[in-house]
Amino acid sequence: MLVHLPPPWNPIFGRLGLILHYRYNNPMIFFAFELVFVGAAILLFWLTCTRRWHTLWRDWLTTVDHKKIGVMYIVIGLVMLFRGFFDALMIRTQQAMAVGPTAVSFLGAAHGYLPPFHLDQVFTAHGTIMILLAVTPILVGLMNLIVPLQIGARDMAYPYLNAVGLWLTATAAALVMIALFIGDFSHAGWVGLTPLTELAYSPGPGVDYWIWAVQIGGLGTTLGAVNLLATIIKMRAPGMTWPRLPIFTWTSVATNIIALTSFPVLTAAVGMLALDRYVGTHFFTAGLGGDLMMYTNLFWTWGHPEVYFLVLPAFGMISEIIPTFSEKPLFGYTTMVLASMAIAGVSWSVWLHHFFTMGASPGVNTYFSIATMLVGIPTGVKVFNWLFTMYRGKLHFETPMLWAVGAIFLLISGGMTGMMLAVPAINYIVHNSVFVVAHFHNMILVIVYATFGAVTFWFPKVFGFKLDGRYGRRFFWSFTAGSLLVFVPMYLLGLMGMTRRLDYIAHPAWYPLLLIQVVGIGIYILSVIYFLGMLAVSINRRETRRVGADAWGSARSLEWATRSPVPFYNFAVTPVVHARDEWAWRRERGLTDLRPERYVDIHLPRNTVVPLVIGAFSLVFGFAMVWRIWWMAACGLVGVIAAVIIRSFARDTDYVVPAEEVRRLEEAAARAPRPDTATAAAGATLPPHAQPSVRS
Amino acid sequence: MFNRLKNHSRIARLIVLTPVAFLGGCADRPFWLFHPHGPVAGAEFHYLIADVIVLSAILLPVTALLIWVLRRYRAAARAPHDPRWTHSTRLEIVVWGIPLLTVGVLAYLSYQGVFAVNPYGPRVLARAAAPERAAAQVSAEPGAGLEVDVITTDWQWLFVYPSLHIASANELVVPTHVPIHFRLTSATVTNDFFIPQLVGQIYVMPGMRTEQSMIADRPGAYHGIDAEFSGPGFSWMDFKVRALPRAKFEAWVRRAEHSNRRLSFRTFARFARPTVNLAGTITRFSKVQPGLFAHVVAQAKAGKAYPTPYAFTEDMHEAKFLRHAD
Ligand code: HEM
Ligand SMILES: [Cu+2]
Repeated sequence: MLVHLPPPWNPIFGRLGLILHYRYNNPMIFFAFELVFVGAAILLFWLTCTRRWHTLWRDWLTTVDHKKIGVMYIVIGLVMLFRGFFDALMIRTQQAMAVGPTAVSFLGAAHGYLPPFHLDQVFTAHGTIMILLAVTPILVGLMNLIVPLQIGARDMAYPYLNAVGLWLTATAAALVMIALFIGDFSHAGWVGLTPLTELAYSPGPGVDYWIWAVQIGGLGTTLGAVNLLATIIKMRAPGMTWPRLPIFTWTSVATNIIALTSFPVLTAAVGMLALDRYVGTHFFTAGLGGDLMMYTNLFWTWGHPEVYFLVLPAFGMISEIIPTFSEKPLFGYTTMVLASMAIAGVSWSVWLHHFFTMGASPGVNTYFSIATMLVGIPTGVKVFNWLFTMYRGKLHFETPMLWAVGAIFLLISGGMTGMMLAVPAINYIVHNSVFVVAHFHNMILVIVYATFGAVTFWFPKVFGFKLDGRYGRRFFWSFTAGSLLVFVPMYLLGLMGMTRRLDYIAHPAWYPLLLIQVVGIGIYILSVIYFLGMLAVSINRRETRRVGADAWGSARSLEWATRSPVPFYNFAVTPVVHARDEWAWRRERGLTDLRPERYVDIHLPRNTVVPLVIGAFSLVFGFAMVWRIWWMAACGLVGVIAAVIIRSFARDTDYVVPAEEVRRLEEAAARAPRPDTATAAAGATLPPHAQPSVRS
Repeated sequence: MFNRLKNHSRIARLIVLTPVAFLGGCADRPFWLFHPHGPVAGAEFHYLIADVIVLSAILLPVTALLIWVLRRYRAAARAPHDPRWTHSTRLEIVVWGIPLLTVGVLAYLSYQGVFAVNPYGPRVLARAAAPERAAAQVSAEPGAGLEVDVITTDWQWLFVYPSLHIASANELVVPTHVPIHFRLTSATVTNDFFIPQLVGQIYVMPGMRTEQSMIADRPGAYHGIDAEFSGPGFSWMDFKVRALPRAKFEAWVRRAEHSNRRLSFRTFARFARPTVNLAGTITRFSKVQPGLFAHVVAQAKAGKAYPTPYAFTEDMHEAKFLRHAD
């Protein structure tokens, strides 16, 4: 057992005997179980009835197509967003119920209905899921989808690695979901507060679930960053010089430099924590030479760059949407690129602002305060440039534009509160309060708004039809109303002195505002319904909503210079780029005909099951490590290594689509502008050569 | 700078408070941060106001401009459309210059603020050493003020008055107008010492010592908070703060001295067992063994922990849990 743990433990089942101690009669757990398993059962039933297993396997589970991988990342992200939203619902209702000593009390709680044992897991899971398993996958998915198209590439530089990244992310998500039912999840906050995460204070398997979800998911994201950088550096179409790179691709460069340099720090920090918990080292314990603030430093050395990893692609999306719906190129392109790089650069040197209250000397706090505020400069520049892009433009408030403009307003208010927090004298009274929570939700809403905008914006490119605008607008306005009702009161509560992560509210003065937040959550539920309605209506009426290559009529960059939905080979022939806004350049010159003069053979990667296998084995490994079932962990690890080795001998990893076949597909698509979407989702069906080869 | 801010902030307080006051419900003055009762929290509040004023001076016009552009250039408005206008060197300079200037001002403000409220010797306290304060020295304290050692456990606060040999659990009682110097450490995990109306936050960490200082300007009852999440009993881990005029404080000290509860290294170990202070229990101790603070620090460094039982609060109504509740 390596370290001293309270029993039970045995060599075959590890610590699994612990689950006999949990109370599974809690209706909340039962409800979650229903939701997950009934949902999964319906899905499996539907797949079987409509005979989609084969399609699912061939077109999705074994694919290396960057577009499908992108879509799957986004689907994982949306599912986890939904899970995280349930967590939020529980936190908000618990706090509204547990006010004052006479608050109602049931289900084992002293106040409200969630005792700390549950609430602490809920808010830890909420943060971990939303940052690492919802927003990150959605953004990685969008970059996966759009970047190769924007630079005129056939696929990512390493398509197989791309699929590995996806399945590792899925594994991390699966581990967090398993923690809901088998054992418990971490109780120590999404940041993994030391020494609370050490064995003495977290003896259960919860922190171990958190550790392995973070490690496996983080590895996936790091691999994704390597891939995106290599793709952007090496796979650009002829003529796509750096000064012509679309702005979203530029922000992807900046953001993936951040990911590549910062995620290893997280891996190292959490790895050392794992050593503490598994082999009894003392990296971060309070005593015996451990340094718990070292963990905090390392965590935020990753954590702060991570928040900019999230926001930079969002800035890129806003910068793509606004010119399109202003019928005007982006104002100050060079400045925007410089600003993105500056934000990335500064983001490494500000981490200490997350713990000004540690008691560092005034010199240290002054340095980190000023460094933090420097980030505000390029951020301010971006706001001005969007403003001047719209100035003398012709603004069309389609749904993507609504989200983008909403994001700017949010950025202004979130930037303002960020600049307040960056002043230590102010930080001392609002740190660890819900004011901070409101600040970063405000900022993350910038990302969410930009992302919803981007999803509506690029949806027709990927699927060939537009999302319904009426439902889209209802979704936007209800989501906005919900956000205001939740987060404005949260800011106010922070100024009243309310601190974060409370299970019990001692001060009745906070009650009215907590109640307003619950109303806001109710309106969020309404917005989820509008979102699902938007999807249903759009898919139902997709035949009437088909679009051509340029879905919005005023799009600008290269991804619009191919068919919608994008064929599996992206472009019939590799495009030659002439200008910064290539599609706008061609449109102005009337060069919008997509038929090439000559077709050539296309070389593409072949499907493979190896990434899925790696994902499955790493899930086995992660689960076994959580419960300390050593034999099973060894099997999982050996499985991963074996899969990687076997794959490295595979020769038959790609195939060629002959020029004639490309011509046939292109002409068929040109003749029948309204193909059946069942097969056209995220590209067309694969031709026979794309089947997984037996050897890999 | 600091004094000039005072006038501005009074106006700003009006502007900020009027629309939100009614939201705070019936309690009077629910916005603790806007009603500081001591120079440290006061300075922190004034920096808050100054920062907001500087930022608003930039952000409000930008927001107004944004709204104007959105209205003026919407397609239906048929405003002049100039798709070639994408660059202007003069504007670029303005665009970088305005944020740069703002950050410059704020950086200076921040630099000042760091020293003004530095937990290891806030400048505002030196400035606040008015004659009335000197006159109000506590008799038992010959030096510049009163020392209080703060020790956190899972999940209680222990305030030790080393010069008076008394201690108080979950209630901090201080004389008004006297500088209070805290030394803080934790027996278990990291906590965060915070009295919104008197002084900002400082971490309380095991095996380490941090410091904080404050003065209470007015007698009254305040709320002390543990701001850093510290495990299952965290939500019930707040403490009461009472600032008393000198005579009343001395009476309180005498009462504490008569408490029949003693605090030695051994009884501290019993006190430090995981305890959820559900009822908000307050305890006073007399005859505190000297050197308790250093003892706790040394023990934590030597690896002493007070482990949290497994699945501790899964059911807070059962006997297993209630043994740990106060
Ligand atoms: C002008 C830009 C920004 C500034 C000056 C700023 C400043 C700060 C500061 C000083 C804190 C520490 C607060 C505390 O714990 O006491 C903080 C926390 C945080 N900020 Fe920002 N921020 C900015 C932008 C952003 C952006 C763009 C994001 C996310 C996309 C973000 C996400 C967060 C998060 C997640 C936390 C705290 C997480 C936690 O403690 O759990 N911030 N910010
Ligand atoms: Cu940060």
